[in-house]
Amino acid sequence: MAVCVLLRCASANLTHALPRLSPSNAVSPARLLARTCFKRNLTVAPRFCSALKYTDKHEWVRVEDGMGTVGISNFAQEALGDVVYCGLPEVGTKLSQSDEFGALESVKAASELYSPLTGEVTEVNHALSENPGLVNKSCYKDGWLIKMTISVPEELDALMDEAAYERYIRSIED
Amino acid sequence: MALVKKNSTLKEYFEDAWKAGIVLKSASTDVFQNLALEDWIHEHIDVQQRSALLMWRNSSAVVIGRHQNPWQECNLNLMRSMGIPLARRRSGGGTVFHDLGNINLTFFTSKKKYDRHRNLRVVTGALKDLRPDLDVSATDRFDIVLNGVYKISGTAAKLGRTAAYHHCTLLCSSDRSLLSSVLQTNCKGIKSNATPSVPSPVKNLQDEDPSLDPSAIMGAMASRYCAEFGFDSPVITVDPSVEQLMPGIQKMAADLQAWEWVYGRTPKFSICTSFMAEGANIGLDMDIKNGIVEKCAMDIPHHWLPPEVGKELCSALMGIRFCPSEVAAVVAALMRTASRAPDLAKKTQSLYENVVAVM
Repeated sequence: MAVCVLLRCASANLTHALPRLSPSNAVSPARLLARTCFKRNLTVAPRFCSALKYTDKHEWVRVEDGMGTVGISNFAQEALGDVVYCGLPEVGTKLSQSDEFGALESVKAASELYSPLTGEVTEVNHALSENPGLVNKSCYKDGWLIKMTISVPEELDALMDEAAYERYIRSIED
Repeated sequence: MALVKKNSTLKEYFEDAWKAGIVLKSASTDVFQNLALEDWIHEHIDVQQRSALLMWRNSSAVVIGRHQNPWQECNLNLMRSMGIPLARRRSGGGTVFHDLGNINLTFFTSKKKYDRHRNLRVVTGALKDLRPDLDVSATDRFDIVLNGVYKISGTAAKLGRTAAYHHCTLLCSSDRSLLSSVLQTNCKGIKSNATPSVPSPVKNLQDEDPSLDPSAIMGAMASRYCAEFGFDSPVITVDPSVEQLMPGIQKMAADLQAWEWVYGRTPKFSICTSFMAEGANIGLDMDIKNGIVEKCAMDIPHHWLPPEVGKELCSALMGIRFCPSEVAAVVAALMRTASRAPDLAKKTQSLYENVVAVM
C-alpha cells in the first residue's frame, strides 16, 4: 500500500513537471514567460515529453499513462481576462467528446468548457477553488482543470497538434 | 403534433424572414420564462450571420449570477415573505433586482462578434437620442453610470460553442427601497469562494428625467440597434409560454426554476455563526455542498440542553437541503418521535427558528 502511495506521488510530480515542456515553439509574445520555464526544464526530463492536443474551443489535453489532463490554452486565458471562478464537474462525471463540463467566469462572463475527449472525470484541480487566477498565471501547468480517463483513444487523432493549433489561432485572428 | 405546421417554429420564421437581424420583445414578465427565452434563442437561432436583440421586463425578482451564493447575496427571508422569486442566470456577474421599472436587453451574436462595449454604445446612444443632455457612459467594468457616479445598468455574459450573449439591465423606475432591502443578506458568517457582487450606488433614469418611460426607451433601443447593426426590423413580440413556437422552451424554464439549479448550484460554502436561544449562546457550524447540508455541528451549553438532544438535531439536519421547509419537516419528525419534556421541546423549537433564520 505504502509503495502504491509512493508511486502515485512520483507520477503526480512528473505530471506537474511536464506541462512546462509542452508549449513549445510558442509564437505569441505572451508565451515568452511559459517559454522560459520550458527551457529550464527541457534538460530535466525530455523523455517524458508528451505533446498537447488542442480543440477548436481552445481546450488542451495531455495524455500520460492513459489518462488525460485538460486545461485551456494561453490564447483562451488571454481572451478571457482574469478568471474569478472555475465551475468544474464532480469526480465521476461521465463526459462525451465536446460535452459541456463546466464554466470559467471572468469579467462577468461565463465561458463554457467543452470536453476534448470521451471519458470519466477522475480528478479536479482543487487549487482553483481558492486560486482561480492560476488559470491565467499557469494555464499549462498549475492551472489545469480536470483529469479524465480516455474511453475513445482515436478521438485524440482528430485533435490539433501545436502547429495546427497555432495555424488555427492565426486563422481566427485574421 | 398535427396542429403545428411545417415552417411554423420561430426558428424557421426568423431564419426565413430576418436574414440580417431581429429585434424581439418578450410578452412575458415571468423571470423564468424570460431567462428560458434567452436560452432558447441562444441555442436555436443561428447568429453567425445575424444579430438579435431581445428586450424583456420582469415583475419583481432577484437574479443571481451563475457562480453566486444566494444566501450571501440577498435577503431570502424577506423575498419568501413577499413572494419575490429568486432566479440563477447562466451568465456570470453579480446579483440584480428586477421589476417592471427595469429593462433587460440581451444582445445575441456569434462568439467572434461578441463585443460588450459596442452593445453598451447602443444603450447609451439610444438614451442620448431621447435626451441629448443625459450624462451616461459605460465604465471599464461594463456598467453604465449616470452623472459619472450612479449605476443605472449592469452587465453579464455567457459564451458558448460558437454563439454568445451579453445582457444588461437598465433602471428606469425601479423600486429602489425594495431593491436595497432584498439585496441585503440575512445570513451571517458565510465562508465561500462564490463570486461576490460589487454593491454600487444606483439611480433610476426617471430620477433624472421623470418623462423617460420604459416603452419610449425600448423604442429608442430598437432604432439604435438596427442602425448600429445595419438592418431594418420591426419589434416582434414573442410569448415564451408558447411551446409550439419554441419547442423545448418549457423544459428550459422548468430547469431554470428547479431547486437543484437555483440553490443546488451554489459553490460549496460553510456557515460559522452564533445566536442566542432562550438565553443561551449557541454556536453553529455547517458545510453546504450542492445546497445539501454536509456537516452540521452546534456548540450548545450542556447545562442548557443535554448533549444527545443537540447531536440528534444535528444528525437529522445532515443530508437535507439547506432550506426552511426541509428543516421544518426534520424538526417536526423529531418532535413527534422523541417524547419531549415541554422545556426540551421549547428549546428545540428555538434552535430550529434560529437555524432557519440563516437560510
